[in-house]
Amino acid sequence: MRIVVAVKQILNPAGVVVNLRREMIFVNREEYILGPADKCALEVALQWKEAAGAEVVAVSLGPARADDALREALAMGADAAYHLHDPAFDQADIAVAARALAAATRRLEPVDLVLVGDRSDDTGAGQVGPRLAEALGLPQVTGAYQVRPADGAAEVVRRWQGRFARVWVPLPAVVAVAAGAVKPRYPHGARIMNAYRQWQVARWSAADLGLTEEDLRPLAVYRGQAFPPAPEVGEMVRGEPAEAARELWNILKSQKLV
Amino acid sequence: MDFTFPKEYELFRRMVREFAENEVRPLAREIDREGRVPMETIKKAAALGLMGVPFPQEYGGMGGGETGYCILMEELGRVCTSTATVIGAHTGIGAMAIYLDGTPEQKEKYLTPLARGEKIAAFALTEAGAGSDAAAIKTRAVRDGNYFILNGTKQYITNGPQADIVTVMAVTDPSLGARGGVTAFIVEKEFPGFRVGSHENKMGIRGSATSELIFEDCPVPAENVLGQFGAGFITFMKTLDIGRASLGAACLGGAQAALELAMKWAKVREQFGGPIAQKQEVHFMIADMATEIEALRSLIYRTAWLIDTGQPHIKEAAMCKVFGSEVASRCIQRALQIYGALGYSRDYPIERAFRDARIAEIFEGTNEIQRIVIASNLFRPEGVRISP
Repeated sequence: MRIVVAVKQILNPAGVVVNLRREMIFVNREEYILGPADKCALEVALQWKEAAGAEVVAVSLGPARADDALREALAMGADAAYHLHDPAFDQADIAVAARALAAATRRLEPVDLVLVGDRSDDTGAGQVGPRLAEALGLPQVTGAYQVRPADGAAEVVRRWQGRFARVWVPLPAVVAVAAGAVKPRYPHGARIMNAYRQWQVARWSAADLGLTEEDLRPLAVYRGQAFPPAPEVGEMVRGEPAEAARELWNILKSQKLV
Repeated sequence: MDFTFPKEYELFRRMVREFAENEVRPLAREIDREGRVPMETIKKAAALGLMGVPFPQEYGGMGGGETGYCILMEELGRVCTSTATVIGAHTGIGAMAIYLDGTPEQKEKYLTPLARGEKIAAFALTEAGAGSDAAAIKTRAVRDGNYFILNGTKQYITNGPQADIVTVMAVTDPSLGARGGVTAFIVEKEFPGFRVGSHENKMGIRGSATSELIFEDCPVPAENVLGQFGAGFITFMKTLDIGRASLGAACLGGAQAALELAMKWAKVREQFGGPIAQKQEVHFMIADMATEIEALRSLIYRTAWLIDTGQPHIKEAAMCKVFGSEVASRCIQRALQIYGALGYSRDYPIERAFRDARIAEIFEGTNEIQRIVIASNLFRPEGVRISP
């Protein structure tokens, strides 16, 4: 039994302050963390491992710093970690990321269950799970709150039309776990030390994954930014209502609008 | 020169902070009121390796060294001084003595369960007539075959009531005094003739239990002599030297918490038509707090580095203790002033911090003793010997 957990590193929202009055965002602390939903997906995998036995493999696509997210996954209890890192991924959008994660999952075959965070705390598109399932040709369940082993299948409690529904999905499958579904464990201190001092994070490039130029082409390409022209500001008439009304009348008359 | 923490320590700090914020902070007030740290909290800490942070993994420790241990103390000191004291007395002095001078067999038998948090340690040096003057202890250990028979009473022993394993200093040869006449022992609470005496009703760190430990014809096996026979004073002093750095780290956490509280309050408290964060008197207090905290942080982690790299650290560790305890007291004093009358109320955490901070200037060697340690380390190379 092998479970692949796709995790994403995000900027810690706690380190960001939004100043509404100045219409500015201040990054007080540029700290990157394992996304909360992804952490829940990892916790679900670790609980599955404890209940029914499994090898838990964490995979992340991202810049060099994403190595830290994978080491945190190892510290929490993952058995192995793979970092999909390549300059070719610099422009990767969600479609490219899903194709790369699908290729990594295929390289890790046999895989019985793929877990992802339902929605990241940064872009929040919620597309990685569905796209990954499509690319792998596997059934998918999104918005999962509980995932349990059930005799060759996974029993999943998911959000459904404003309620919760219990569904069964045959394995292998892709399940997207919602943030807050479970309380992720604290990593053990000794595992934190070992995650950096002893254990390895394997690195796979686009070539290692056999990705073609077509696979690496994003859906949208950034070409620059442009804004609509600023609207012309009209003239404000201020003062006592009676005087202001008189002045407004004069203006309208002089412009021949009345 | 590189002042950044290795990444394992960054992740460790984040874990400890989350643990402290989620598992300890919500209880801090109750811990102070009820006068105890729940065993449940200690068990949760143990499950994460937090009862043995500085010790090697081969003895059940976390392998975090003094640096990791100072991070733990700073983060615990930031939310609950009582919890920091319980874990500090257990790890930083009780178990540390066994780690520093224990035989491989003693470490296997005693350090491993302590580092895993399955058992709790205490460190018993102080007596009614021997605090700063540690060499004046009266507890006696007399050899009787394969045993030493201990008699005497230890006082102000942190974790005394809960401790399963106590490192005790006793006089083995009164004619030799501190150098050669004092030996350290490992005592289990099950040993006959060992019992817990009266509890102290303290001003602060009320969640950390402090009591007398009484030895009445308590037989301790000869293999439980810790370190060299007659060299107990050296064992205990080495242990205390290291403990002082982490005690300073807990103070750093307390000072940091005071700064955070003061800033939070200054932003919302309005007087004369604006938040007091706009007032220069408040700026000066906040700036002084932040400056002292930054200086303390550098001192603490540089000293931890000296310890982890096996360099001389006695003077610096004493500085951590003096400066740490006094910076914490000063910062809490200023934060209380910024809070005004509310700071004096038992409904706000500043009042607890104020009571908790004071002991750090006294225990584990008074600040006066620390200053003597610092001065004697400065004068010794000049050929001047200082005795208290």
